[in-house]
Amino acid sequence: MASSMASLLLQILVDALLLGGVYTLMAVGLSLSFGVTRIINFAHGDVVMYGSYAAFFAFSGLNIDPLLSLPAVAILGAVGGYLLFKFSIDRILEDVSINQVLLTFGLGLILQNVAVILWTGDERSTTPFYAFQSWFLSDDVVVANGRLIAFGLAAAFMALLLAWLRWSELGRATRAVSQNRAAASLMGINVRAIYGLSFALSSAFGAATGAIMSFLLPITPFMGFPILVKAFAIIILGGLDSILGTVIGAFFLAIAETAIAYLVPQGIGWAEGVAFFLLVLMLIVRPAGILGTVGRDA
Amino acid sequence: MTSARTWIVIAAALLAALLVPHVLPPGLSDWATRLSTLVLVAVSWNMMANAGLISLGHSGFWGLGAYTAALLANAVHMPFWFSVVPAMLLGAAFGVFLAYITGRLRGLFFAISTLAMSEALRVVALMVPKLTGGAEGLFVFDQIRPGRVTMTSFALCLAVATVAISYFLSKSRYQYALRAMRDSESAVQMLGVNPARFRIGVTALSGAIASCAGVISAWYTGYLDPGAAFDLKITISSQIAPLFGGLYTVAGPVIGSIAILTLSELTRLQFGYTAGVGLLVYGFILVFGVLFMPTGIVGLSHRWIGLFTRGRKLAVTRP
Amino acid sequence: MNFARSSYLLAACMLAAVAFPALGQAQDTIRIGAPLALSGKFVSYGAAAKRGVEMAVDIYGGKVGNKKIEILFRDTQSDAQAAVNSFTQLLAEEKVNYLIGPIATPMAMAGLPAWRRTKALWVVPGATTPLLEEEAGKEPMLFHTFPYAYHYHISLARILRERLGTGKTLAIIYSDDSYGREHLPYAQKYFTQEGFKIVAEELVRAGATDLNPVLAKIRRVHPDILLGLVQTTDGIQLTKQIYVQRLNVPYLIGTAYPQLKQWQDATAEAQEGWVGVTTYIPGLKATADPKYPKLFPNSDAWIAEFTKRYNRVPEFIDVGAYVSTCMLLIAIENAGVLDDKEKVAAELKKLDVQTMIGRGKFVASIGGTLNQAFSDVVVHQRVKGTDAILFPKEFQTTDKIEPATYAK
Repeated sequence: MASSMASLLLQILVDALLLGGVYTLMAVGLSLSFGVTRIINFAHGDVVMYGSYAAFFAFSGLNIDPLLSLPAVAILGAVGGYLLFKFSIDRILEDVSINQVLLTFGLGLILQNVAVILWTGDERSTTPFYAFQSWFLSDDVVVANGRLIAFGLAAAFMALLLAWLRWSELGRATRAVSQNRAAASLMGINVRAIYGLSFALSSAFGAATGAIMSFLLPITPFMGFPILVKAFAIIILGGLDSILGTVIGAFFLAIAETAIAYLVPQGIGWAEGVAFFLLVLMLIVRPAGILGTVGRDA
Repeated sequence: MTSARTWIVIAAALLAALLVPHVLPPGLSDWATRLSTLVLVAVSWNMMANAGLISLGHSGFWGLGAYTAALLANAVHMPFWFSVVPAMLLGAAFGVFLAYITGRLRGLFFAISTLAMSEALRVVALMVPKLTGGAEGLFVFDQIRPGRVTMTSFALCLAVATVAISYFLSKSRYQYALRAMRDSESAVQMLGVNPARFRIGVTALSGAIASCAGVISAWYTGYLDPGAAFDLKITISSQIAPLFGGLYTVAGPVIGSIAILTLSELTRLQFGYTAGVGLLVYGFILVFGVLFMPTGIVGLSHRWIGLFTRGRKLAVTRP
Repeated sequence: MNFARSSYLLAACMLAAVAFPALGQAQDTIRIGAPLALSGKFVSYGAAAKRGVEMAVDIYGGKVGNKKIEILFRDTQSDAQAAVNSFTQLLAEEKVNYLIGPIATPMAMAGLPAWRRTKALWVVPGATTPLLEEEAGKEPMLFHTFPYAYHYHISLARILRERLGTGKTLAIIYSDDSYGREHLPYAQKYFTQEGFKIVAEELVRAGATDLNPVLAKIRRVHPDILLGLVQTTDGIQLTKQIYVQRLNVPYLIGTAYPQLKQWQDATAEAQEGWVGVTTYIPGLKATADPKYPKLFPNSDAWIAEFTKRYNRVPEFIDVGAYVSTCMLLIAIENAGVLDDKEKVAAELKKLDVQTMIGRGKFVASIGGTLNQAFSDVVVHQRVKGTDAILFPKEFQTTDKIEPATYAK
């Protein structure tokens, strides 16, 4: 009795941690672009989707493992993101937020439907060997390799990003812009260039996430939206302008969802609603999020 | 302050709404009904946007109205023309709830809350099949479904009424409050308007109107399920129409609705039945609209009229 | 100013909308309406049906008697309101007497109220929901050419009992969308009837990424059989995660997804041992119909012809739509090529043909549909990348069910 309880708890912990890794990947790109430019990029989920398709075609056409094609996919993502930014978002940086919402929304629609036209709605998947492997942590508890790799990569990306933000010249400039745009420009930082950079970086992360998702989720042109919504919820929970907050938000959400899925009857059906419930709760109790400082006027 | 001329125009429009459907061919009749529902959500969304509240969850109101109408029709055989009343009440209540819990949160936070709310409603509709038919959906009791002509007249009348309301609102003393609210709520207080109550009023009215669209859709289709009733496309259309037609104006949502419905019909006829083309066009409209036509068709027409009537460029103020 | 502008726009739109349907109103054609999902989430069904319908018309020769066949495709856009519009447009404006499609259940349901107003002859090569049967099964103008959800489970339960014996335990996973919820009660009923003991019923969210919580619960009850009542996307996730989690359930049963190439490609080695149910599978060796060998040749010949035209392997909806259209055309011809739906309906009821998906004959179904054809299903198992056919007897290739990988 006690051991099966313990084993259940262990299972929940393992699952929650691994899920948290996946969620971190989904949210980080959005957190970066929003934190710096204060624009919610509604096309973020679709950037992830393109990353997945890129990895898929590399896998099925050229037999390249998704993890190997990941750097190339990320670079493609960065270039694509920068171009998108330069040709559209850059022009409306000063506009009312409604215009920004509609523009990025429209970009998302375009990206999604180009994918539908090019590749149809059929589900694809990359099938590298590690996606099908797993090992027993204990009698009843299984750890899936694919998820574990995602977790490891998430940790690596986070470490890299945080290090870059802390110690590199550009990284510190980015943080400055994110904290106080006016002051940063007074200090001689080219704010617009930093915007472009963060968008490029955020798209690179998004595309890389897509490459990893290619063996975790079915790839369809419509996979982007649920990812976007989750990422949204996570960055609100964690705090809009804090990368670390995003990580905490991701694990917070993962633990809540997993616990409910395991412990509540039909829990997995309600788990989807958990994100929204927590979101609203957070907005009422502490709009800035767990680690954020952005208050009322977004 | 409302002139007799205004009332005559409204009366004429209502009369047209009642009579025209009798002579429309069935395809146009359908189109007119779809147009009406779109006008309703477009005007409603525009109203909220006018007050600085961006709603990303308008499908929530639609679904709420649709399910209210359908469930009441099946349970107590409530006739369609009466079912708008409970639907509007619920829509208003939902709007009030939204405004209340988001308190002073503006802009982005309000937007996200609306999205959360509408998704939550959809999950509820799915998870309580005993009440809502769940994922399998719900048929509206067939015997009391009105004929197509009646339905179209009803829809058009509601659309006319909604545009009239939005017109009156724009001419009332609240118009200044609306503009102020977009920028700063403290400025609103200086006009002697209580911002909290005002915001609740706007969301209530807006929500009630959007719920009517759901009611029409439920009666018109005869069948609903959570995916369709809370469809994201509703939210998208309710934003594109005012943007395209002219944000914050009275005519904008109407013109925008006609324009995008026509555009979507034409795209489909033109491009045959290739998947994804319709939404792709929507995406382009959004992007190019925002980049090159931020004041919408109404704004453009103002500029052109300015050029013609005065021979020099009219300054178009960005809202 | 704005009023004038908007009223010009409105007039232009009205003209446009009226002008287009007015085109193409020829006198000596047989017009058949085809409301299908040609965009949106059900596009794979609609596109498949369109292929089947077009091929049928082509092989038939494009004409019935001396009248040209005209198929009026209308896009339901996978959207309820657009579906209603399609139906209204076809029935009230174009005034067609014959409809074929939609395939997807929600589209058919959305069109039903609109159909009621004119009750054209309606062939439905899809829509598994028994709700259709409840609402319109008794309608003499409705011809359902696809199994209902319960047909799947009647056959499945019986086969499994015959091969595995009575008293085995069963765990059911079902998705919380219309698909899962519509299948669940029938699975419960017929499996219980055949003596299986249901030890778990777990809900999964359609589109969920993480099914481990449910799999962990199932692992704990040690069932002999796992039945996954989900649609394709969820089927892919379910299959992969069952494999990765090393779930040691001996027998894994799916519904329609194990037959789909999409699922097979995406699940790779995880697909081994999954049992599926379908109306048609490649490798089914049907023989030609003696009376209509051109329309219903033997399986291989038909598949070759389809592959030549469309450069892809046909799946169950392609075949189903093809067969249904052929039967409708034959009935129209037999009725004397009149546009009289009563006569055509009578002829349709009299038909008895041998097709690639089995016997084409309309009889009353258990649940109360007057005109039901093709309610027999094929039960198959994925073994080493190919299909072993378990049922029906005339196409059977093996009588052993293989246990799943991690149960061996």
